[in-house]
Amino acid sequence: MNQETITLTEDEKDVLQELMNIAYGSATTVIAEMLDAFASLSIPKIEILKTTSLLAKFDDLKSTSYFFSTQAFMGEFSGESVFFINKVSANNLAQHLELENNEDIHDAILELTNVLTSSLTTRLAQEMKTEITYSSPNISEISLEQIADTQTFKNYSQVIVIYIQINFKDQKINGEIFILTKDGSIQWLKQRLNSILAALI
Amino acid sequence: MKYLITDDSKLARLSLLKSLQPYIKNDEIYQATNGLEAIEIMKTHKVDIIFLDLTMPIMNGYETLPKILEINPDAKVIVVSADIQDKAKNIVINLGAQLHIKKPINKKKMQEIINILA
Repeated sequence: MNQETITLTEDEKDVLQELMNIAYGSATTVIAEMLDAFASLSIPKIEILKTTSLLAKFDDLKSTSYFFSTQAFMGEFSGESVFFINKVSANNLAQHLELENNEDIHDAILELTNVLTSSLTTRLAQEMKTEITYSSPNISEISLEQIADTQTFKNYSQVIVIYIQINFKDQKINGEIFILTKDGSIQWLKQRLNSILAALI
Repeated sequence: MKYLITDDSKLARLSLLKSLQPYIKNDEIYQATNGLEAIEIMKTHKVDIIFLDLTMPIMNGYETLPKILEINPDAKVIVVSADIQDKAKNIVINLGAQLHIKKPINKKKMQEIINILA
């Protein structure tokens, strides 16, 4: 695994954040239509973290139990999307969709993960003029104490974390999405972000 | 003509500026990175056309839009946003925006905006 320190300049961060904002807007609209609800958008945050710091950050989520789902994407830009939704939100989602059992809730969250990840990353890839493919999403219900043992986080040493929130205020449903890019994608990403900016100057 | 581009992203501002270039002659262009900066500019310059992002730090577009129109009721506000939900569009139009345009802006979209504003 590449142990070199990753850095993004302020301009690179700005470009990635704006591309993510565009992708996030499209993805949110798809989900909003799916749930027949209005979502409030927040500003995506871009951070470079060591995996250990990322795990520490999850502690800030302040919940003991989450539905946690992941989906990998492959291509020149590759990585993994990680979606957290707490039990209260999951129950509110179930109520909103009139779902009655855990299996249906899991299924709904999987579909939410799938739609969110594919809408987000497809739009992001379009803006970066590349193509990506997807794995099937996996879902697991885990406690924060167990996150560090999850295979997802063992695949990365340090990551560019694109953190966004999806928030349906009226339905009291909110979730956190982390897009983790693999070490090998980062140089490609930096070059692409710089060429996008250079084309405008 | 005086234009104001309000967006926290440098990429978004540059992109909008580039699309606007063919239509600018001796016009003045101002830039703001959030709603508060936009309002300060509005107080000192009689800006005619404002391009306004919605998701910004310090003061977002929803809060900024009515304040802009309070300062200059004749100003034409074009919301340029990634939030393309119908409710978001309805809110900004009800707040007084002339148009809601989906990001990213490009030459074709700018041509349409200019035609509508003409």
